[in-house]
Amino acid sequence: MLSFVLRRLASAVGTLFLSSVLVFLAVQALPGDVATQILGKDATPDAVAALRDQLGLDRPAWERYFDWIKGALHGDFGTSLVSGKGVGGEVAMYLGNSALIALVTVLFAVTGSLVLGILAGLYRDRWPDHLISTVSLIGMSVPEFVVATVLVLCFSVALPWFPAVVLYGPDASVGQLLPAVWLPALALAVVMAAYIVRMARTSVIDVMAGEYVTTARLKGLSTWRVVTRHALPSALLPTLHVIALNVAWLIGGVAVVENVFNYPGIGKLMLSSVQNRDLPIIQAIALVSAVVYVCCNLAADLGAMALNPRLRTRGRTR
Amino acid sequence: MTTSTPEGSPMHPIAPGDSPPPIVSVNSLSVAYRSGGRDVPVVHEVSLDVAKGRTLALVGESGSGKSTVAATLLGHLRHGSRITGGSVRVDGHDVFALPARELRRLRGGTVAMVGQNAGQALTPTMRIGRQIEEAGGTVPVADLLEQVRLPRPAELARRYPHELSGGQQQRVAIAMAIAARPKVLVLDEPTTGLDVVTQRGVLDLIAALRDELGLAAVLVSHDLGVVAHMADEVCVLKSGRVVETAATRQLFADPQDPYTKRLLASVPRLDDTGLAVVAESGEREVRPKVPVPEGSPVAVSAHDVTVDYGSSRAVDGVSFDVRRGEVVALVGESGSGKSTLAWTLAGLRTPSGGTMTHETGDLARPAHRRPLALRRRIQLVFQNADTSLNPRRSVGDAVRHPLRFFGTATGRTEATEQARRLITDVRLDPALAERLPAQLSGGQRQRIGIARALAGEPDVLIADEITTALDVSVQADVLRLLDDLRRERDLACLFISHDLAVVRGIADRVVVLRHGVVVEEGPTEAVFAAPGHPYTRQLMAAALEPDPDAQPYVDDTVDWADAADGDDIWTDPGDGGHRVRRWRSLNAPVAEGVS
Amino acid sequence: MTTLDTTPAAVAPGPRAATRAWRTLRSSRTATVGLAIVAVHVLIALLAPLLTSYDPIANDASHALLGPSADHWAGTDQYGRDVLARVLYGGRYALGVSVTATLVTVALGTVVGCAAALRGGWFDDVLGRILDAVLSIPSILALLVVVTALGTGPAVIVLAIAVSYVPQVARVVRGAALAVVPMDYVTAARARGESTWSILRREVLPNITDVVCVEFAMRASWVVLLISSLSFLGFGADPPTPDWGLMVAENRTAITVVPMASLAPIIALATLVVGLNLAADGLSKAWGVDRIREGL
Repeated sequence: MLSFVLRRLASAVGTLFLSSVLVFLAVQALPGDVATQILGKDATPDAVAALRDQLGLDRPAWERYFDWIKGALHGDFGTSLVSGKGVGGEVAMYLGNSALIALVTVLFAVTGSLVLGILAGLYRDRWPDHLISTVSLIGMSVPEFVVATVLVLCFSVALPWFPAVVLYGPDASVGQLLPAVWLPALALAVVMAAYIVRMARTSVIDVMAGEYVTTARLKGLSTWRVVTRHALPSALLPTLHVIALNVAWLIGGVAVVENVFNYPGIGKLMLSSVQNRDLPIIQAIALVSAVVYVCCNLAADLGAMALNPRLRTRGRTR
Repeated sequence: MTTSTPEGSPMHPIAPGDSPPPIVSVNSLSVAYRSGGRDVPVVHEVSLDVAKGRTLALVGESGSGKSTVAATLLGHLRHGSRITGGSVRVDGHDVFALPARELRRLRGGTVAMVGQNAGQALTPTMRIGRQIEEAGGTVPVADLLEQVRLPRPAELARRYPHELSGGQQQRVAIAMAIAARPKVLVLDEPTTGLDVVTQRGVLDLIAALRDELGLAAVLVSHDLGVVAHMADEVCVLKSGRVVETAATRQLFADPQDPYTKRLLASVPRLDDTGLAVVAESGEREVRPKVPVPEGSPVAVSAHDVTVDYGSSRAVDGVSFDVRRGEVVALVGESGSGKSTLAWTLAGLRTPSGGTMTHETGDLARPAHRRPLALRRRIQLVFQNADTSLNPRRSVGDAVRHPLRFFGTATGRTEATEQARRLITDVRLDPALAERLPAQLSGGQRQRIGIARALAGEPDVLIADEITTALDVSVQADVLRLLDDLRRERDLACLFISHDLAVVRGIADRVVVLRHGVVVEEGPTEAVFAAPGHPYTRQLMAAALEPDPDAQPYVDDTVDWADAADGDDIWTDPGDGGHRVRRWRSLNAPVAEGVS
Repeated sequence: MTTLDTTPAAVAPGPRAATRAWRTLRSSRTATVGLAIVAVHVLIALLAPLLTSYDPIANDASHALLGPSADHWAGTDQYGRDVLARVLYGGRYALGVSVTATLVTVALGTVVGCAAALRGGWFDDVLGRILDAVLSIPSILALLVVVTALGTGPAVIVLAIAVSYVPQVARVVRGAALAVVPMDYVTAARARGESTWSILRREVLPNITDVVCVEFAMRASWVVLLISSLSFLGFGADPPTPDWGLMVAENRTAITVVPMASLAPIIALATLVVGLNLAADGLSKAWGVDRIREGL
């Protein structure tokens, strides 16, 4: 069991290392001179030279990579080319605001979609299933910006309950942001839930058709007990990984929604730094995304271990 | 798991007019399955009765509806099936008229079921103890586990299903079934998939519990040996209809229906000295074996072969020769290394030691490193015909491709021509060539598998459990085909099987493997006449004959230890190449060698 | 025994593979409806010039922000362009780029996935690790970075989408191929000593075409969504190109004045994606492919 956890940890670190190399390569290896890219075509040669010097572009790539990663490990991601402030602090501030949305989204989406997915699976081919499946199909088919726009139309314009746009900057307090969190979170939750609902449904149907569930039924157990004790632990296993992937997807998913609502989160920062070619910030965001992805998957694997005795008891012999 | 000494099943003679009222009564039951908008009947007006304390066997080949009937005793139908007529009464209740709550009480409380595959019937995420506890009843879990003869019950209760062996899992499933002390036990192929020795142990356990607790039992099985050993009455099903119902002894001694006759006659027996030929009327004739011609050359030879999987040794120092026109059987239970050996010979594994040679070259290399001319000389036929043919390609294509690949046929038309001829050679209609595998029956698919192997014009054919997945009547046909082909084509055949009766009928020589080591080998007749190694005897004692009065083939099984040492490995009983690995008895410490 | 065994399991002669696939497809109403919706979209995109007489990019300030009328069935936008014409033409960009991108992605992913399954060992391990690393970067970020660096040409977008979606396709195909590799017919081919490529082509690929088709339909729906999001954010189609995502972005602020200008492209987009999802769903059910099981 311990060896499984250790192996899983080692592989997570390996993936992170590879991702960081990819991020660095992708950003640095973009065609053309990075300094010219940033400053634009009509920058003076002096300015370009100064920027090259500031970025250390004359040194070999691997050296720059190790400098960057060493700094990153200490929380120092360099300085923003636009604001001149430390990248670490900047990203952390925006990330914190996004975390607020993410928290609400995950809470709603995961609980709601699991309940709906399991219901649909249990009522397979009957009206609750048809209803839930249809709604989730539509949820999957509509892009976030459409959901967001419709929500604004309904709950900001028609019924002025929530603000349509956020008027605060990134340093707003939680109290200031709280009223603005709900609509973006709802928009994200709709899209995210669709996938989890479908996964949970298929997985429940699969397990319910399994031999051991039949055996449990033929033991004369109540449906409730059969579902909760015998079916769900196994049915949740494959769902866990879909949840993890969806949670990791949030960090990219917020980009669109935050821009619709002008919410000062990581997605908005991502977009503005791409527009401004603020490379250190892009690198930092990409790295943070990779960390989130790896952590989510790790959590899913550990969760799977808790649910699956086969993984837990590995090494014990017959 | 240790084997208890086999005990005959107690069969109460039927006293006419004195039969107790039935506890299970199925009355002209019909079941249909809904598919593509119409009802497909699977069970037709089946009626049967089981009295208290008695065992009824439902016998039939695949698709006979026997499992469907058995499951109705618990009010269970497969998704999409429904009752179209008749009733099922158990202990006075009409099962399909019971309200949900009553039905739950009936399941487990009155009727309990033991399924075919305990590995899949136990919930993987729950501890064994919890699962048994749940089944209700007042008997403590530890006592139940003890009752099914499992060692260290307290510790075992805290384990998860995957931590047990197949035999142990089945015992747990039995413990679960008897937990609430039901009156009726439904056993659906309870020992299929278990090794013979394990099977014998589980069957003996079931018989003992049945008598101890006075249970009525319904046993579903395709294995007539198991049925003869366990049942008081037998009900033969074919395509969802009852063909014949009779007391066991009467049915086996004097079957009335031609189908039953053919079915019984098709079962290979331990004392058959050749393959059985069954006539349409059910007449049985044993075709004598044709001796291997004198001076027939050795086609393939293995010497001291060792195969490792990582750190574990699957095959350990095995040697044998197969001559042209000879069938050599590799016999053993699962894990004996017999299939590994076959795959190694076919070039799918690399041996870690020893030599393997064919008339024309060295076989110690994997298939893709062997020259084409050598590769085509050794061909493999697989156990499961369902997965051995590509479902997306016609069966004609499956035969044609190797013809062209090995260069046996040049040109497309010649290959098509030859493929049709090969399909005819395996006694199939060449018109089947255009079909997809899914459109053929299991036996037909297996013949195509053989035709594909013949496409390379091999001189060595490796048959890996090729009849295991087939129904008994089909099995007999495929075996005869194999026997004919080796004569017609002078093939050296390595026949891998766990079924001693099949081996007796087809093999010229037998090699018995245990844990990757040869414990006994010799001419088939010599080995069956005087099995020298206690393991061989244990296998023979565990084999079940389709005859309720059969005496165990061998009945002295002893505890033993390996005594092979250095160069002194074998003892020779002196009957023509028969040799036995040295062992010593643990029961009587002095005795040594062959008893 | 000497007689020929002619008892067939099915009497009909084996129909060709394509016929069979078509027949199962027809049997699934979901798949038929989905494919029909997609087909209608494709037709509209191709025939757009015949369906409307308006130029989708011609400004007409005098007719800006009109509601639906006999002249402009779906009204006009803030520049006075006919909304219906823009919606009809809008499918061209979305479909053209998505179909190309999806084709490239699925083809690459299939090759990579099959190779990983068939080779196994260290090759599979290393590949899996690299794919995982690519997956860890959000596709929208990757796309944004590539587009800003290389411009917003369709070729660039196709490339960027391929890079960020190939790992997912490869994973699914690898899973499907892994189920085929242990089959005895693959083993038989190995025992014959056939080459990896030949085993892949003859034995593995024909048995995973269903998975690949379903994968294509599903990825296409994702790609359409992603491209429209990109356009919405201003990184995809360049104005004044008619594109649905772009139209929503342009007309969103005027949604209370001319709702149709936003709603029409939304409806077009949603029906296309619903069509693709229905097709993927129906196909996977008809062919017995469990697409969600195999991970996203």
